Amino acid sequence: MITVEHLRKEFTYYKKMTGIKGSLHNVFHRESLTKEAVRDISFSVEKGEMIGFLGPNGAGKTTTLKMLSGILYPTDGRIQVDGFIPWERKNEFKRRISIVMGQKNQLWWDLPASDSFYLNKCIFGVDDGSYRDIIVELSELLDVKELLNVQVRRLSLGERMKMEILAALIHRPDILFLDEPTIGLDILSQKKIREFLKIYNEQWKTTVIITSHYMADIEALCDRAVIINQGQLVYDGKLGDINQLLGKRKLLSVKTSCAVDMERWKAYGMVREVSAAGAVLEVPQEKVKEVLAAILSGLQVEDFTVTEIPIEESIARFYQKEVAGA
Amino acid sequence: MSSYRCVFLMGVEQALEYRVSFFLSMLSAVFPIIIQTTMWNYLYGHSDAAAIFGYRQGEILLYTLLATIVSQLVGTGFEGEMNSDIKMGGLNKYLIRPVSYKGYRFFRFLGQKVPRVMVAAPVMAVIIGLAFWQGMPVSIGKVLVFLISLGLALLLNFSCFYCIGLLGFWLTDVDKLFGTISIVLTVVSGGVFPLDIFGGVVETLVNLLPFGYTVQFPVNIINGRFGWGRIGAGIAFQIGWIFFFVCLGNVMWRHGVKRYAAVGG
Repeated sequence: MITVEHLRKEFTYYKKMTGIKGSLHNVFHRESLTKEAVRDISFSVEKGEMIGFLGPNGAGKTTTLKMLSGILYPTDGRIQVDGFIPWERKNEFKRRISIVMGQKNQLWWDLPASDSFYLNKCIFGVDDGSYRDIIVELSELLDVKELLNVQVRRLSLGERMKMEILAALIHRPDILFLDEPTIGLDILSQKKIREFLKIYNEQWKTTVIITSHYMADIEALCDRAVIINQGQLVYDGKLGDINQLLGKRKLLSVKTSCAVDMERWKAYGMVREVSAAGAVLEVPQEKVKEVLAAILSGLQVEDFTVTEIPIEESIARFYQKEVAGA
Repeated sequence: MSSYRCVFLMGVEQALEYRVSFFLSMLSAVFPIIIQTTMWNYLYGHSDAAAIFGYRQGEILLYTLLATIVSQLVGTGFEGEMNSDIKMGGLNKYLIRPVSYKGYRFFRFLGQKVPRVMVAAPVMAVIIGLAFWQGMPVSIGKVLVFLISLGLALLLNFSCFYCIGLLGFWLTDVDKLFGTISIVLTVVSGGVFPLDIFGGVVETLVNLLPFGYTVQFPVNIINGRFGWGRIGAGIAFQIGWIFFFVCLGNVMWRHGVKRYAAVGG
């Protein structure tokens, strides 16, 4: 459905010196700089797949989405989306995709969202019957049925986002790009949107690429994650396998009935936290049994748990480029 | 329903959404009319000549009234929105939908004009009726041609300001420029007083440049200052300038979008 090969994007901009003196200097002399926002990214997405696009701020996620949707030309590389080259912006291509940007709006601010929906219906040539069905179905799923005739400016951020998503789906796109769809929303709205996307993807087999800063979004929706950092692809695979890649380590939380000093804990593994009531240790997976046995025999243990390292944490390590070469 | 008809109707709806702002903007046309009428009456009252700068008192008053209304009718305001679309990335939503940005802007602009036209039309009819009653050479033919040239003036002003809006692709912050441009253009279009009172070079320039064709030319048709030959030439100029700005806009758009897509939005 989507193939991206050796994608690259450079931006040129001018160096701005600070202060009045610098500004005056800039009037006569401008130093041109180049920033490589995306360097050599390749991946592919199957029809109906829902992938999470992760990366810290400025990693190149939005730039990549913009190239996928045809808003930006790449500096180099190839993209094919459903057989189309996005930046040729053929109408046939535009009918198959949709993009929702959490920080941009496409609805008319002064008018009710239903007016903007109707405009999209006209633009995409959706027939009356399917238009009615879509509105009824999606507004119910998103729980915004009562708000369709309220001016967009009067809606809350969460309500507005739901409307934005609804507007983007009027023409039943085959491919949906979501750029931070839950940014700034409260937990309930986030959850609602997540549930909606899940149901929608299952029902309509829409291919979805979603970027988000909230791991909960990605964990709830995507099996597969593509992580980029500093414009480069650092991970592409199952979300659950990320921990494996980071050395298969587990967290061992132990509660003891009396305080144990730091040095003794260190003998069992890497100490993450320590208190009078116990400690959290990071232990290689294959050594968990052994270490646990030693602790149980050597210390007065009240309780213990073995857990995975949270995915969020693993991903943060990717962000820090600790395993950029992995 | 076609998408442009839908945009047009939404434009009407939007213009009606802010009623106070709409009435205030209509009201704001009244003050310049009062000031100018008073000024011209004073000038003619203290002059022995029947005509000053080639305009008789009735003609200049009719000019002032109609020019203010015509300025309001053809006036734009979307160039600021275009600039922020380009600067803040709002343009994205048009690029990813099968819709032309210019068509979208044009029909939205037309739609937003409708309430204004509905207020201005009866006012203009009364003014023209009064002028006829006062014995000015107003004929049905001239009124019809006036309406045609008013339509062309609207097209001309739109295509001209569309190009000005597209400047946002190259200049990062043109908001201030818009203020200046719009004041200058109000004057050079004859929106405040007829520019042919200067005669000579200025008059020739006004006849050649596009701006006078947005306000001064249509108003002077109804004023009875032009013979049919002059009217025909003027309409040809209007069409020529529209053609020029449409072509210019297309070229600017093509290059601008390429640039936008290259540097990001």
